[in-house]
Order: sequence, then C-alpha cells, then structure tokens
Amino acid sequence: MEAQAARWTPTRRRWRHALESRRVLAPLLIAPAVVFMVLVVGVPLVWAIYLSFTDAVGGSLSGHWIGFDNFTNAWHDDNFRRALRNTLIFTIASQAIVVVGAAVLSNFLVRDFRGKWIIRFLVVLPWAAPVVLSTIIWLWLLDSLYSVVNWTLAQLHLDHALVWLLGAVHLEEGAQVPLQWLGRPNLALVAITVVHAWRILPFAVVIFIAGRASIPNEVEDASLIDGATGLKKLWYVDLPLQLPIALVAVLFGIVFTAVDFAVVYILTHGGPFNSTQVLPTWAYAVGIDSGSLGAGAAISLFLFPLLIVVTVGMLFFARRAQVS
Amino acid sequence: MTRRQTIVTYLVVVPFAIFLAFPFFFALITTFKTNLDLANVQHSPYTYNDLAGKLHWDFWNYATFEHVRFLFEDTNYPTWLLNTAIVGGAVVAITLLLALPAGYALARLAGSWGQGAGVAIFLVYLVPPTLLFLPLSRLVTQLGLKDSLWALILVYPSFTVPFATWLLMGFFKTIPPELEEAALMDGASRLKALRLIVLPVSLPGILTVVIFAFSLCVNEFIYAFTFISSSEQRTISAGIPNDLIRGDVFFWQSLMAATLIPAIPLALLYNAFLDRFIKGFTGGAFR
Amino acid sequence: MADAADEVARAGSALTRSDLLRKGTAAAFAVSMFGGLSDRALGVYGPLKFAKKELSGELRIMTWAHFVPAYDKWLDGTYAKQWGEANDVEVKIDHINNALLYGQGAAEVAAQSGHDLFWFISPPASFQKQAIPVTDLVQEVSKKVGRMARVARKSTYNPKTKQFYGFPETYAPDPVQYRRSMLQQAGVSLRTWDDVRQGAAKLKQLGHPVGLGMSNEIDSNMLLTSLLYCYGGYIQNEDNRIVIGQGANRRGAIQALQVMKEIYTNGMSDEVFAWTAASNNQAFLAGRLSVALNAISIVRSAEDSGNQALSDDTWLASIPRGPVQRLGNEHVMGVYLIWKFAKNKEAAQKYVVDQMLAYEDHFVQSKFYNFPPWTNSVEGGFKTIRSLATKDPHKPKGKYSILTTIAEKYTTNPGHPGNSTPVMDEIYNTFLIPQMFAQVAQGKSSPADAVSAFATKAQQIYRKWHNQKLV
Repeated sequence: MEAQAARWTPTRRRWRHALESRRVLAPLLIAPAVVFMVLVVGVPLVWAIYLSFTDAVGGSLSGHWIGFDNFTNAWHDDNFRRALRNTLIFTIASQAIVVVGAAVLSNFLVRDFRGKWIIRFLVVLPWAAPVVLSTIIWLWLLDSLYSVVNWTLAQLHLDHALVWLLGAVHLEEGAQVPLQWLGRPNLALVAITVVHAWRILPFAVVIFIAGRASIPNEVEDASLIDGATGLKKLWYVDLPLQLPIALVAVLFGIVFTAVDFAVVYILTHGGPFNSTQVLPTWAYAVGIDSGSLGAGAAISLFLFPLLIVVTVGMLFFARRAQVS
Repeated sequence: MTRRQTIVTYLVVVPFAIFLAFPFFFALITTFKTNLDLANVQHSPYTYNDLAGKLHWDFWNYATFEHVRFLFEDTNYPTWLLNTAIVGGAVVAITLLLALPAGYALARLAGSWGQGAGVAIFLVYLVPPTLLFLPLSRLVTQLGLKDSLWALILVYPSFTVPFATWLLMGFFKTIPPELEEAALMDGASRLKALRLIVLPVSLPGILTVVIFAFSLCVNEFIYAFTFISSSEQRTISAGIPNDLIRGDVFFWQSLMAATLIPAIPLALLYNAFLDRFIKGFTGGAFR
Repeated sequence: MADAADEVARAGSALTRSDLLRKGTAAAFAVSMFGGLSDRALGVYGPLKFAKKELSGELRIMTWAHFVPAYDKWLDGTYAKQWGEANDVEVKIDHINNALLYGQGAAEVAAQSGHDLFWFISPPASFQKQAIPVTDLVQEVSKKVGRMARVARKSTYNPKTKQFYGFPETYAPDPVQYRRSMLQQAGVSLRTWDDVRQGAAKLKQLGHPVGLGMSNEIDSNMLLTSLLYCYGGYIQNEDNRIVIGQGANRRGAIQALQVMKEIYTNGMSDEVFAWTAASNNQAFLAGRLSVALNAISIVRSAEDSGNQALSDDTWLASIPRGPVQRLGNEHVMGVYLIWKFAKNKEAAQKYVVDQMLAYEDHFVQSKFYNFPPWTNSVEGGFKTIRSLATKDPHKPKGKYSILTTIAEKYTTNPGHPGNSTPVMDEIYNTFLIPQMFAQVAQGKSSPADAVSAFATKAQQIYRKWHNQKLV
C-alpha cells in the first residue's frame, strides 16, 4: 500500500481523482454508447422525420416540404387505417395469448419431472430459430394446397366440423374445405396472431420462470403458514408478485410484435386484398415499392409515439408494482 | 411431487411442447422428401411414400438426402452460416464493450437521472428499421462498407446496445453496493472495482445480454438484405430467402433443412444456459 | 480457350463441397476482415477475373433471379464473360428475388452508390429521376434494327419529359396454360371470357378448377389487368389521366368484376386469395388446376418435372376474348436503369445496346421467356421467332407458336392505352387491383362501389405524382 502510494506522483493523483468523480466518470462511461447511438440511429431518425414532411420519391434523400399532408393523406386512406387496426389487433391478441400461456407453462416448468430437459429444449426452439426462416416453415404449414394442418384435419374428419364452427361463431361464413388460412381475411388474422404468439411464447416463459425464481422463499413459507394454497395462493400471492415481471414480458412482446415486418410480409404479403397489412408492411409497400418515400416515412412514424407512451407507461407501472 | 401433480404437469406441459415444436418436427420430415412425393397432394406429408402413394416399413428407402446436399453444395449456405456467426460474435463483443460501462454508469454513478436516461436509451430500440435502412444505406456506402459484413457489424449495435444497456443497468442495480464500497475503501479505484469485483458477479447478466444480442442479430434481415448484394457475403436470414426462393419456385425441402440447422444447436445452447440466464434476468429488467 | 471453358464449366456445374467450403470460408474470412476487397471474393455467380487477363473496367449489373434458372447460368457464365472479354470490362452480375428489387433500388439511390445497371421487372417509373435518360441509346438501336415494339415504347417513354427514362431489355407475354385433357373432358372452351365463366363450374366439378389469382402478387396483378382490358375497363386514357371511374371504362370494369365474381363463386376456391407467385405454378404442377394465366415458367417447369404426361397435356392459348377485345398485359417488362451515380456509364450503355443488337441467343437460352423489345433484334423479326418457337421439341409439336401470336398481337403495357407511369407503378405495388377484385368476389363490396373506391384512390395517387411533374 505504501509502496503504491509512493509511486503516485501529484499529477497522477489529480487524474485519478478526476476519474473517481462521478461527474466525470459517469458521462465518460456512457459516452461511447450514446455517441454511437446518436450517429447510427439519431441522425437517420431525424432525417426520416424530416422526410415524412416532404414529398420525396424514389429513394432520393430530399423533397419539397408539404407539411402534414402525408399524415393526413394516410389517415384518410382506409388501407392505412386497416393497417393500424391490424397492428393493434395482432399485438394485443397475440400478447394476451402469450401472457396466459406463459403464466401457465412457467408454473409447471419450474417443477421437477422426468424429461424436463427435453421439454425445455422443445419449448425454446421457436425462439432459437431466425424469424424469417421459421415463418417460411409456417408458410409451408399453411400452404393453400399442401397445408399439413388441413391434411391432418381432414384425416381426423374434423375439417367440416371446423368450417361449421367458424360459421357458427361468425368468424368466417361460407368458408370451404380445405381452409385457406392465408386466403380468407379473418382466418389470416388468426393465423398471423398464432404465429406471433408461437414465436414469443418461449421468450415469455423464460421471463416468467425468472420471475418466479425471484420470489423469496419467505413468501412461500408465509403463505403456507397462512393456509393459502392452490387458487387462493395464485390469486392473492403469486400473481401480484409476478406482476412486475409479467409487465416486462408483455412489454417486450408488444415491442417485438408491433414493429415486426417479416411475419406478415412472408405469410400474406399484406393480403388477402390488403386486409392483413400492418404499419411496417404498408409503409414498405407505399414508401419503397411504390416510391412514395415521404408517405412511407410518415406511415412508419405513426407507431413510434404510441410505442414510446406504452413503453414508458409500462416500465413506470412495473416499477411501482415492484416497489409495493 | 405427488402422483397427481405429476400427471397434471405432463398434461399441461406436453401439449405446449407439441404446439411449439411441431413446425420443426414437420420441417425435419419434409427435408428428406422426394420432389414427386412432396408434390402429390394425396400423399401423407408425415412420411415417405413411393410413387403410388403407398407406405413401406422401410420408409427410409423412399426418402432422399438430395436437398440437404443441394443446400450445402449448390448454394452458399455454409458461407452464410459462417457469416452469421462472425457478425453475431463481433456485434456481441461490441455491444458488451459499449453497454457494460454505460449500464454500470447509469446504475451506480448517474444518480437521479440514471433511471430516466436508461429508459430513454431503451426507447431508441423502438425506431423501425424499415425506416432507417435508407439513410443507413448511405452511411454504409460512404464508409466504403457496402457489400461487406462490416456494414452489419457497424449497424447492428444500434439496436443491441439500447437493449443491452437498459438490461445491464437493471442488473447492476441488484448487486449490493457494499461489495464495491468495500473495495473502494481498500483504496481501489472505481474502474478497478468494476473490473475485479462487479464483473465476475454479473456473469449471469452478461450471459443474458449475450444471448439476447446474438438472437437479435440472427433474426435481423432488412439491413442484412439491403447492405449486402452479393450472395456469398450474405447472412442466413438474407441469403436463404433470396437463393432458395426463385420467383416461381420454392425449394421447400432445402428451406426446411436450412432452418433446422441453426435452430437446433442454438436451442440446445439456450437450453443449456437457461438456468444461468434466468439468474441474469431475475437480477435485472425492472429494478 | 481452355481457361474460359474451365471457368464456364465451374460456374455452370455444382461445386464440390470441399471446393465451396474452401473458397467460401477463405473468401468470407477475407471479406469480413477487409471490406474493400469484397469485390474480389469468389462466388457461384459472376466470376471476376477473366482467364489471366486483368480487365481495365468494371460493370456491375443487378438483375432478378430469372424464373428459368438455366438462363442465369448462361448469362453469367457465357454471355457476360464473352462480352466482358471483347470489351475489356469485368462484368459482375448480382441476382436477387424479383420482389426485392425495389427495396434494393431505393437503398442504392439513398446511398448514391451501387450498381451501374439496375434491372426492374416492371417499368420503374418512380425511379426515373434517378436515372440518366437513354433516348440516344434507343435511337441508336432503332436505327440499326428498326422500330421498337409498342409495348416497350409505352413502357419506357415519358411524354411529359419527352425522354426514354429506361432501356427496355425484354418482355414476357402472358399466355393461358391449360390441361387439354381436362378441358376436353369437361367440354370447355377458352375462346372468350364468357366461355371461361360458363366452363369454370364444370371444371370445378371435375375436381380441377381454374386458377385465376386475386392475391397480393405479380401474377394476379397482370391477369386482372388483362381482364380489365378485355372488357374495356381502362384505368388510364391516352393522356395518362385516370378514367376508370367514368363512362365506358366504369361499365367495363364493373362487368369484369362481375365475371370474376362468378368465376370464383362457381368455379374456384379460396386458395386464389392466398397465393404467392409460385402458388399457381405449384397447383398446376400438382395436377390440380386446369387453367392458369402465367408466363411460360409453368409449362417449362412441367417439362423439367419428369412428369411426361403432365407436360404433354399442357397446352398454350392466348388470353380469352372479352366483349371489347382480346388483349393482355405483359407478364414481365424488364427495364434497365442506368443510375445517375453509376461509375461506368459508358460500359453500361454499350452493354445494353450490344445486347439488343443480337438478341436471338437470349430468346433461345431463356426458353422463349425473353422476347425482344425490338422485334428485329432477332434477325427476321417475328417470322424467325415463330419458326424457332415452333421447332421446340416438346409435345405437342408447335405449341409455342401461339406465344409468338400473343406477343405480336395481344400484348400491351401496364397502363394501356397510356404509358407506364409512376401512378401505375404504385397501383401495382400496393395491389389495389387484386384488392378491388377480391373484395367483390368475396362479397364485401358491390362492383360499383369497388370501382368508385378504386378510382378515388387512383386519383389521389395521380395527384401525388402529378405534383412531382412526372405525369
């Protein structure tokens, strides 16, 4: 210690002192990340915002200022409104499924049973596969002619029953066998929702398991002493404690689903007749494929403020729930 | 567990596993199907049939390895796998390099504005790539990185770093400050404390970030497709749809194989690290 | 030259696994470490160094992955190499999926850097401000081989700017492909759309419906546009104004919508709404569909499939006649753009002109998929084309002759009778036409309402591009 102190010169001590100061060290450590993000995300984002107020076309980087025209035009286009509606539907519906499914599955996956490792491996698969590739598998599973889902239903003699059921609940009237999972608008909505839920579920399960693992043992013991078991325990003890982690899982799921481009693009390309377009795919169709760059930028940006509000809200909520 | 509990467990867990893994199971079967077998609507998709559609007990004689061979020999698939691994590894390294100090600083040193700043950084993740890929294309070209993996290595941290910083910030907050206090009192500098005390303890958190960041890289395809035009420089998410879907023709069997080959090892890996990963997540996320 | 032959053989045949691994790994590693050397990496397409000679210039071409893969092999391995050697230029060709060409183009424009020649599968009117006009090149070729076909001219000429913004490279006519045995069995003719309307139900009863798509993909776009032409439901007029909402055009469009609705209700199934560009091919080759409207990739795939019976039974026909006319859209209109920021404009210009002066090989190597925009680019014009087509050995003999008739008489450009404007481009890329038809077919809208809604949208799109002074 003393030898070390002896080695320190006055200048060196001043430097070290500076580095110890929070005011210097904090920004210094954060700076690389922030600088990087400003350059690679911030600058392009600002440019994209600028673009949405212009009439830029064909991939060029500038255009004439037209104010809010792109936004109002988009709002009056029913294809856009449908895209917005679909984005919300897919996100909320798939995440609802995910939350319930993950809550249930995680509850059982923390127990010990034979074959647990294999089951966990199978559960994790959708998350491990790149989304583009696994969606192509789904494209094959739901193919208009070769769908194995339809083939299996037919073999089990359930296909006509399912058609009747769909008509009975007014989901799809007049559907025919084999069911066109990607060709009838409501079936396509269902199919896409299922695929979204399918790929997010493993991820949510893991988060839920993490949450359970963080419940201190004292709580378990306390609830045993209090006589709270089974459903009562679930409702009064487990769920409230899991709320913060559940919110985080839902938040991630919402973000992953709302900004997703690949699933819709690959499965339906926005069809049938533009009824499954979501904001990212519609923005691409208008902005890139059609060359109306400004309009496409405006459509892309519609979701951004909403996501910010949702994110901040949920994080805030999660923090409050956790503290209490 | 009681016997009843075990039965209930299986009753719940098995259907979920089937639902989640079925597409891959089916992809595995499809990989080895011959073209004529696959194209025939009457044939069972679950097994291998002869030309007349009949099943045989030695079904493997009616399957083929041709499509896997095609994938490896007549396309750039091995190169794509390698490229994906290179990009993933490099981006994970860069992410850790940028996010570890930032997360630590936000957790420990930033005081009151730390939490808010962390959330703000996370929000950067929400900017859609379908919007950004055009100006980024220009950036990449001006840096002379067009058509090279460096373009992706440069751009991918733009979405992994926000994520990782916020995660690590949460995680570092769960490490008791006393650990560092003790070291500081012993005369160590902050940086030294970070390196020698905090990092070893935060291994689960780092593992979390590694898995997330790698997964984000492998899944990305808009940038991967746009910045790299030549087939041999592509990653799997861009190369496979481009080369195995030729306009009118889908090479279904090869597509199935192409998905299984990265998915299975990755799933094994994630599974193996799941316990440590859970520890990593428990610590972080929302505190 | 032995080396050339080696290179061609190598590019054309499957590389052995160890070859690919060795080259692929080494190249990938080199590339990842030294980004600037990316051009020098080896690949399956577009070898870079020709024999031992270091070529002085470089020409980078972006094009689609041709639906006839053999053509790409020939193009990269033979034609481009020979042209490159003769002109002292290294030709590098990249192929991507046709659906992603626009995204790639937009990125190159944003980056102001990329390939020299960029090929689009339909007239890329929205990009014209980014390309150099090619009027001089067009005139040069016209002087040497005669007039360009109407479909090509209307696709690439902008009457507002009085320039040719893109150089047409090829077009593909859109024939009907049908299973003769099935149609004979059901007693159905394809002469007029009315015949199709009446015959669809019979074919469906047979278990082999017709396959006319109404999905978000290119096949549907083209066939439905053709249907509109046949009924006189023009979207644009000669001056490129939107006219589908009024008068005879409106009536024609409503009729076309009604016909399609009937065909769907009686003779098709829901699958036609879920199709990708490959689906009608697959369904036809699986023996399910009896009729499809598509470029010849279906019948060529049938020939390659090993299913002799199917291939012999697949015949070609022209598009059915409607009450107004018999007219179809081209299926593909390949147009080259030379970017303003292209590095080697001279080589690009020479390449496209040279290719057009001697197109016969392209026509043959693409198995008659690629028709020449200047008919006399194949010496002897349609006469030679027809005799080549008729000589095709596949049964029934002479079945490809009708392809020539279709190209000669019954093929026109998107936006007929006007030009292929950015307005048409946007209408296609947002799939408004399949949307209109599918809504009516599925009973979600009346034909009149659907036409009105479509016309309104088209007008909005027109206004937008009008403000850009491009239409």
